Amino acid sequence: MSLYWAIQWRRNEGLGALFLVLAGFLILYAILFPGILSIGGAGRFVQNWFPMALVAVAQAVIMLTGGIDLSIGAMVGLGSVVAATSMGGAFGIAGGTAATLGMGAAVGAAVGVIVSIGRYPAIIVTLATSFIIGGAALLILPRPGGAIPPELSEFLAGDHPTAVLMLILLILGWKLYQATPLGMGLVAGGDNPIGAYRSGVATRTARIFAYALSGLLTACAGLYVAAQTGSGDPVIGQPFTLAAIAAAVLGGVSFLGGQGTLRGALAGSLLMSVLINVMFFMNLPPVAQYVVQGLIIVITVALPQLKRMLRRIA
Amino acid sequence: MADDRVLLSAAGISKSFFGNPVLRDVSIALAAGRIHALLGENGAGKSTLINILSGALPPNGGTITIAGQTLPALRPATARGFGIAVVQQELSLMPHLSIAENIALGAAPKRFGLIDYGAVKERVTAIARETGITEPLDLPVNKLALGRRQMVEIAKALFRNPKVLILDEPTSSLSAHDVAILVGLIRKLKGQGLAILYISHRLNEILDFCDHVTVLKDGALTADRPLAGMDAQGLVRLMVGRDPNDLFPPFRSSARDELVLALQNFRTAAVSGIDLKLRRGEILGLGGLVGQGQEDFLLGLYGAAEAAADRFEAGDAKAPFRDVMAANRAGLAYVPADRKKEGLLLPHSIDLNLLLPSLARSSARMFRKRDAERALTESLAAQLSIRGDRKRPVQALSGGNQQKVALAKWLPLSPSILLLNDPTRGVDVATKREIYLALQAMAAEGKAVLLLSSDTPELVHLCDRVAVFHKGRIAALLDHAAASEEAIVGAALGVNHGVAA
Amino acid sequence: MRFRLAMTDTTRAALPYGLIVLLWVVAGAVLPGFAKPGHIRYMIELAAVIGLVGIGQTLVVIGGGIDLSVAATITVAAIVMPLVSFAPDTTGIGAIVLTLAVAGGIGAINGIGIGYLGLPPLIMTLATATTLQGLLVIIAGGSAVTVNNPLLVWLGSARIIGIPVDILVWAAIAALCLAWLHGTRTGATVFALGTNPLASRLSGVAERRVTLMLYAVSGLTAGCAGLLLLAMNGQGYVGIGDPYLLSSIAAVVLGGTSILGGRGTYAGTIAGAILLVTMTALITVVNASAGWRSIILGCLILGMLPLSGRDQNR
Repeated sequence: MSLYWAIQWRRNEGLGALFLVLAGFLILYAILFPGILSIGGAGRFVQNWFPMALVAVAQAVIMLTGGIDLSIGAMVGLGSVVAATSMGGAFGIAGGTAATLGMGAAVGAAVGVIVSIGRYPAIIVTLATSFIIGGAALLILPRPGGAIPPELSEFLAGDHPTAVLMLILLILGWKLYQATPLGMGLVAGGDNPIGAYRSGVATRTARIFAYALSGLLTACAGLYVAAQTGSGDPVIGQPFTLAAIAAAVLGGVSFLGGQGTLRGALAGSLLMSVLINVMFFMNLPPVAQYVVQGLIIVITVALPQLKRMLRRIA
Repeated sequence: MADDRVLLSAAGISKSFFGNPVLRDVSIALAAGRIHALLGENGAGKSTLINILSGALPPNGGTITIAGQTLPALRPATARGFGIAVVQQELSLMPHLSIAENIALGAAPKRFGLIDYGAVKERVTAIARETGITEPLDLPVNKLALGRRQMVEIAKALFRNPKVLILDEPTSSLSAHDVAILVGLIRKLKGQGLAILYISHRLNEILDFCDHVTVLKDGALTADRPLAGMDAQGLVRLMVGRDPNDLFPPFRSSARDELVLALQNFRTAAVSGIDLKLRRGEILGLGGLVGQGQEDFLLGLYGAAEAAADRFEAGDAKAPFRDVMAANRAGLAYVPADRKKEGLLLPHSIDLNLLLPSLARSSARMFRKRDAERALTESLAAQLSIRGDRKRPVQALSGGNQQKVALAKWLPLSPSILLLNDPTRGVDVATKREIYLALQAMAAEGKAVLLLSSDTPELVHLCDRVAVFHKGRIAALLDHAAASEEAIVGAALGVNHGVAA
Repeated sequence: MRFRLAMTDTTRAALPYGLIVLLWVVAGAVLPGFAKPGHIRYMIELAAVIGLVGIGQTLVVIGGGIDLSVAATITVAAIVMPLVSFAPDTTGIGAIVLTLAVAGGIGAINGIGIGYLGLPPLIMTLATATTLQGLLVIIAGGSAVTVNNPLLVWLGSARIIGIPVDILVWAAIAALCLAWLHGTRTGATVFALGTNPLASRLSGVAERRVTLMLYAVSGLTAGCAGLLLLAMNGQGYVGIGDPYLLSSIAAVVLGGTSILGGRGTYAGTIAGAILLVTMTALITVVNASAGWRSIILGCLILGMLPLSGRDQNR
């Protein structure tokens, strides 16, 4: 197994700077708002961050295959309404959860099939499906409503470290998946699709699986948001699409495919969460986060080019 | 010791692309323990034949026989299953994955559904030793130089314990040291009973260690025989179909005294210290091994790459061009090596491709005049013998005709300096000759030509002078009289110190 | 899957026209009042807004990119115009020119980032969109602004020989666009850029300058659309432009232009815009909800994909 860990350690190259910046901001945050240093405070912070983390990972998985998913926001909404409407009555919490996650995986897989077998660009397919998914959410719940059983809200968003545990499970699960041929095929297929195919990698299956996984994670984020607010809302996911891209890009995931790590995406989403919280506490209007997000993306992507230009002038 | 058991054979293979026949009734038999060379000019159909043998492409006609079965076509998975491994020119490596992952890709041993990294490490280490890969196995492949990546590609083919190994120009980017390792490896595999198909342009390699040779010319088989008793001349005659000297038109110099280009200490990212003068009507060749800076030099001249110089005179320009458009205005034109990716708009019509530089050029006239355009493309097509419906997408043309389009599109701009990057790569013999004649005609008109070529005979027969590049500098500048194949190759390898013209 | 629909650009653009005629004939026969001149005029007026945004979007897409900031630019135009109205400007033309300058300026910023800094169009325009979204709320604060610009009011309600002026404006600008795209030399280079930017650059195409121009025009036409919306509605508010992002892309794709670039025509987009409005009208008449409209829109785009573009590399 030592080879596996050696390879994984190599992939950390380039993340060093990000982790440093992240650590710096966390320290700054702790100084400004010492509340985070308590278990309760930290727990609440993680709960705030959790949906962001999930969608960042979902976006990163798609970006690793070389695509971009513009339907993440819509799926969060659909996840929240399915959760809020399926838990009453016969289904119960377990059934409702299964329905939500199952829906996410199934829809994701369907999108994956369209992208993979049709060989259409992911950006336009997901742009179209974002409206199909969004429309479906509106059909189920035209206005915020439905209900999440309070026990579930308590379990997920209350005083339990559930979010932390789920994140740890996610990371472990991903590490395990990366050690399978299909998992390696996901990254290989994004890095050099023709070469991977020629080498006998099941690129199509890997890609469809990636989309299914992404759908499941996003629907889970929707469920979590519904648990946090207590009800479902079809349009609550709107800000998540861009935020997910911003977090993934910040975390070093390349939208060209094949490059990037999950921990990078998580770190990116954490950094953005910290930034948003800082801005909130500094009494900046909530929409300022949009401005900052936009600037972050541009600067991160433009950085290599800007560096080159500066070198030329110097 | 060669054994006559045939492991893989093909009979009567034919293949066409967009109506162009690329292979005609070709048969080949790969026997165990035999190193089988596949020779042919650029564009003779070698790569297509390999693609068919490895299952990447189905033939239009003919059959393939393997493990006792005769099939109309193979699929990549079936071919792999039968133990056929190919090392292509276009690498199939994943740049961001590690050496170990690349070698084991698609064939890694599994345990409980997971990749057995322990077993992977063992086998990859053994194969890395055999192929001379000393870099750490967890290093991402994009950190390796091209030659080293080639060795990883070869290791990847070997990882699957193939019975048939096909190598497509494996030594084109290898250093002498790696070539030696590779040759040793091939000999060892031969001893183990593998059937090896070896494609290369390097005749000395083929004569050195291959046992049998198949020669393709224009898609048809011209020879299939043991190599015993053959020499380089004989091989060339088989490839070209005539005396090598017949391929080229007789040399004539159109070089005049007037200078069109004067460089002093011209430098780019890959070259430095270039001092060069180019005269009107001169054909100046750029030689040397692949990747010694020749292409970067051309791109720097053309304004497509960063360049600086102590002295730079081209037409009215007194400094290196900031962008391609400035270079065009000063009379420079560039025909790239990779016409599919850099030279042409494949899905668009021949007409549009021919018109592109004319449309792109800044001019007072904003609107297009379709009649004038039609007349122009008609005359260009006639000039360079591009036949057929010009509304067809240019990807329907053969490689040679595509190259003619890539060249013809510049003529309406009346360039004074033509920068040609390997213009006859992948072009059939007849078209090559047409291009050579066209070049001489353009030189006679007063155009200057910088001809970057990986084909040494081209440099020998066409050029007034040859500048041989080595490690980013001009190692030798040879006059036509002094530019023999030995002199050029010697300078390319850093052996001779040439005569400045 | 080896089949490829070998259609010319003209056939692909003619398809939506055929569909429109079919729908109008059927709907006119089945639904009273649908085919009345007044209703048709109304639909085309609505289509004019999409059509105007579609001009910029078509040009940008043919050039190989995409503009995700058009919705924000529309809103900017609608909100900013009343703010730049000043007393000496009695006809109102000054305010209109200023607003268009702002819209074009936004497009130019996109064009600089994409053409000169090499940022991917998706990222740059997405970032611009979010930044604007934030800034807009800060500027306008969520309240609606009423318009009393005389020129604009005239545009919104006047008619010349029975045809509403806004449709005439659309027709005039559409004619300009078609003439430019298919009749000028620079227009031809746009097709080249969308097919193979490297080969275009090496052939002397002014890649950076043309890209800047394409995105500036996109901003400009989005500004026109915003003004038209303002004229038709009488007031502007934050979010007024939101539906038009997807509509513009849908109109482009439905009109047969390939999302991958290099092929297509604005003539198709015109039909795409009218088709979209027709479908919306039909859905409204059968009392379907916003959710269904969304779903059908998404499905329409997916349906056009086999005809327009596949990713050759996968």
